[in-house]
Amino acid sequence: MSQDVFTVKIAGPAGSGIKSSGLLLSHILVAHGFNIRDYSEYPSLIRGGHNTYQVSFSANELFAPHYDIDVFFSLLPQHWSQHTSEFNQSTLVFGDDAPVVLPLKDLAQQIGGHLYVNTLCLGVIAYIFSLNQDTCHQIITQTFGSDTPNLKAFDLGFDYASKNYAQSKITLIFPQKITNDKIYEGNEAYSWGFIAGGGNFYAAYPMTPSSGAMHFLAGVQEKYKITFIHPEDEIAAASLCAGAVFAGARAATGTSGGGFALMCETVSLCGAANLGVVFYLVSRPGPATGLPTWTSQGDLLFAVNSGHGEFNKIVIAPGDQAESFEFGAESLNLAAKFNIPVIVLSDKFVAESSASLSDLSTKKADIIISQQPLPGTPGQEYLANSYEHDAAGYAVEDIDTINKNAAVRQQQRQQIIKSLPSPKLLNNNSSNLIMSWGSTKSTILETLKLLENKYDYLQLTTLWPIDAEIKTILSKYQKIFVIENNATAQLVTLLKSQFDFNPVKIILKSDGRPFFPEELVKELKQYD
Amino acid sequence: MINLKSGITPTWCPGCNNFLLFAGIQQAIDQLGIAKENVVLVFDIGCIGNMADFFNTYSVHSLHGRCIPTALGVKLANPKLTVIAIGGDGGVYGEGMGHLIAAARADAPITVVVSDNHLYSLTTGQTSPTTPKGSKTKSTPLGSISVPINPVSLLHTINPDVMVDSIDGRDPQLITAKLVEALKHPGFSLLDLQQICVTFGKELSA
Repeated sequence: MSQDVFTVKIAGPAGSGIKSSGLLLSHILVAHGFNIRDYSEYPSLIRGGHNTYQVSFSANELFAPHYDIDVFFSLLPQHWSQHTSEFNQSTLVFGDDAPVVLPLKDLAQQIGGHLYVNTLCLGVIAYIFSLNQDTCHQIITQTFGSDTPNLKAFDLGFDYASKNYAQSKITLIFPQKITNDKIYEGNEAYSWGFIAGGGNFYAAYPMTPSSGAMHFLAGVQEKYKITFIHPEDEIAAASLCAGAVFAGARAATGTSGGGFALMCETVSLCGAANLGVVFYLVSRPGPATGLPTWTSQGDLLFAVNSGHGEFNKIVIAPGDQAESFEFGAESLNLAAKFNIPVIVLSDKFVAESSASLSDLSTKKADIIISQQPLPGTPGQEYLANSYEHDAAGYAVEDIDTINKNAAVRQQQRQQIIKSLPSPKLLNNNSSNLIMSWGSTKSTILETLKLLENKYDYLQLTTLWPIDAEIKTILSKYQKIFVIENNATAQLVTLLKSQFDFNPVKIILKSDGRPFFPEELVKELKQYD
Repeated sequence: MINLKSGITPTWCPGCNNFLLFAGIQQAIDQLGIAKENVVLVFDIGCIGNMADFFNTYSVHSLHGRCIPTALGVKLANPKLTVIAIGGDGGVYGEGMGHLIAAARADAPITVVVSDNHLYSLTTGQTSPTTPKGSKTKSTPLGSISVPINPVSLLHTINPDVMVDSIDGRDPQLITAKLVEALKHPGFSLLDLQQICVTFGKELSA
């Protein structure tokens, strides 16, 4: 099989434009018609350290970034040696001190300093892969303007490569047609879903890796008539949303695990007072401050069990950027339909990685409006109460009402289950099933492509409440493999609390890094 | 006179100053001619928070310390509404102090009313942010070590544009008059009602 996925990686210190040049490259690739999936790593600091951006691209279907690198750039010396496990014999590793010498320090002097070597590297990439120079110029001009030194830097890289690396050119199969696809990080895709779903109130306190959604929505608040507020803390963010929903807004807040810990009292309030607030929870590894800029699926049980007391809530988890859009809209509908808290559980790997998708800005979603009485409407006054209450909202402590309320919640749970996103089964007529939730989806689909679809795959999109019907699907399989990006197999724990569940193998990873298809291929091949 | 009552009998102790505020809120809304449906009351937790049950308006009985951000959420979502956050000294000056400061900084267009009886009374009498220094309470049997907060000077330091007043919470006419003034104020207003808890407040240091 000829290679149809290629991966380029750029590494260097924070502040040297790793991500901006990486995204520029992705835009250039998408303008050629390629599908892209990217991934970036960065420490929690502003200058120095070690940042990377990698993008995989293909003229064919592509689900996730790959681990093995074809072309690597070290923007400063010593930013390549820690990546040797990602290299193979044919990997081109460029840099001042790298196996393929690219004298960035000297070349930088010709283009006004080291600031532009990232774009110079794009020139080298364009030469190596025979990209269309006009297209590259066009994207650079669109990004930086027509008088930018980046154009000169790109040309210098291209010329230098054509004189020195003629032997290293890589032959690509170019896409047949050029699409209108755009590049979306998960956070951005979620935000477009929020807009499409009629979201009009977003309150959030900054916390990596959720802040991308707040930045995006803050930036478009006037255009899309969104009331946006960055308040004093996460508790206020959630409380603002609770008040806004009472007054008729379609409201969401966004945070990561630590901020969500503070919001848990509001999750509980929303459950008691019937306020349909959406919580966009983008996980990173904990405990406590943990690993702020890395990825994890370690908050599943926390999300499911969030908020004190027993009440109905919904937890749904997008598996990729496209589902981040879908659930951004759907979460608002579920919140409006059932008037309970809805958690959209994502993680850094989805939220801060990009995918090429068809234009989301014009995509529409169905909108379900809440039937709760609206302040301003005469005659429907009621109390949204954090206390146990009767139908009008007044606090009660009598046994009959308490038991009746519990029964109503139980009935509502059955209705909720019927309305939630269904599990997605990819049927390859196998007797073996891979099962996962959230961000592992993209890597698993890419893995199955490499394994020529030897397994069926079940993605749970709804994590709470659990539909017991899942058991019927599972009963058809001889062997079940569960893959989770956490240390304690939280999906397995959750399902075991609902029914008998005994997967033959649980594949876990909890080092802050996502799974890559190559490592899953290796893991699964042991069971052939 | 506008009727905002739910018909549920108030559960406060006989002689509690909260009865005066309950009447004052209704009189102020009546005087200002605000339609019942356009009033939203957002309650904190505590004895005063229990007033939520005695009104028949659009109301939220929120969580302890959170009446201000919840009320602001209501107001931002529908600026036409008259939104009043109602809490005690514990909720507004203690658990919710960060929210109070932020709302004053932003000159947030809501009115906050504080039943300031210098104690946590619903929880049977512990020290609050406005308890006089040296007071012996259930949580400070050796005497409280902290000086009390002065909400007026505090808020004026944060933002001179806000309207803040501390008045005798036992004076019904004054309560109504000041509430009317606060509700007319376009930006942030806070009315601190100095009260004495009839059950737990007798032994506080003067």
